Amino acid sequence: MRILDLAYILGLGASLGLVSAHWAVAGRPLVGKVEVGSWMAWPGSGGRDVDPYMRAYLARGVHLPLGAGEGLELIAERSDDGAPLDGRCRYRLTGTVPTTRGWTIEITDRAGRPFQLPLERASFTDSEIVRGEDGKLSVIAAAAPQAGNWLPLPAGGRFQFRLRLYDTPVSSQTGETRAANLPQIARIDCR
Amino acid sequence: MSAMDHEAAPLAREAPRPQAAPLPAPARRSWPQRLRAAAARLTMTTLAGLMLAAIVHIATVLLIPTLSQRDAARAYRQFGAEGHAQLVQLTGNAEGTPSLQEADPNAATAVCGYDLTAGPIRVAARTGALPLGITLQRQGGGVIYAITDRAAIRGVLEFLVMTEAQYDERVANDEEGETSRELRVVSDTTRGLIVARVLAKRPSDRGDAEALATGVQCGLAN
Repeated sequence: MRILDLAYILGLGASLGLVSAHWAVAGRPLVGKVEVGSWMAWPGSGGRDVDPYMRAYLARGVHLPLGAGEGLELIAERSDDGAPLDGRCRYRLTGTVPTTRGWTIEITDRAGRPFQLPLERASFTDSEIVRGEDGKLSVIAAAAPQAGNWLPLPAGGRFQFRLRLYDTPVSSQTGETRAANLPQIARIDCR
Repeated sequence: MSAMDHEAAPLAREAPRPQAAPLPAPARRSWPQRLRAAAARLTMTTLAGLMLAAIVHIATVLLIPTLSQRDAARAYRQFGAEGHAQLVQLTGNAEGTPSLQEADPNAATAVCGYDLTAGPIRVAARTGALPLGITLQRQGGGVIYAITDRAAIRGVLEFLVMTEAQYDERVANDEEGETSRELRVVSDTTRGLIVARVLAKRPSDRGDAEALATGVQCGLAN
């Protein structure tokens, strides 16, 4: 019976420990995540004092994260109403972007890879978009062609918006940024 | 053999005699008592298992950076052997090197692997009109240092990468009373990557961005 007990303890400990560790670092970890509106950021990933979970996540793949002074990457998986981003819907990004020397907005799958779409337009930089009279940003993401700054989406399935801010003062104080300073993601309609 | 069997048999027959009396009361437990004991034992072993799981979890997470064979520093270790940073393609690198994950398609990324065992590395970059950022990424994940072209002096961004011991040696060799003008960055691992990233704001800037990124020099400092 003693051996059975020991085997149970060892089996439970090893399997639960390994599975939970794998689960914790398979994707971007919950530890160190900062949420601003619909946007998520991991500002700790660009510094020397990176937390162990983020470090393990970065070491498991070929990642070269932006340095804390170099820039900041923001990821959105949900629109402002809380619904997950879906290729069957149309989305409008409006508002302002914090002070930067340059920013890019990209559409990726949930692993951060661009989609293979017939039209090669996965991203915009700040120099490429057409702005309105007020100088504010307005980008439409939809599967069907749209007027204005259109980012094509896949016909269905989940996707992410990735906003990368280069050389921005926001990177050191991401948690204090207000949601109003980042683009809003509004869902227009769905098929 | 048979003689031994004959001798052993009476002993075996005699042995149970003293225990023929009924068992003492505490040894004969009722079913609820047995169940309670089993439940207590299961709880204790499960608790022990959970504690072991927590230890295994923490140890695994802490060991991944040292044991990982797939991180960027190992994938691009050979890059930059010619003394300048080498461009990383986002899809399908030459020589079978894995492609960069979660990378910005609008940025040109050039990489230079360093190994500090031979001595400090001098990194020098010329700046241009496009935003340039240089980061030091250690083996096993994590950014040690980041600098942008705003810190450039007369259009040149220059710094030295060294280990703690090399830093101490350099400070000891500094001239007394003179301030050193070089920027020294201490790396806590001997191996790592120097990553130059240039944002190409328009598709036509791509060539300039790549030239700027690959123009980053990384060689042994004297």
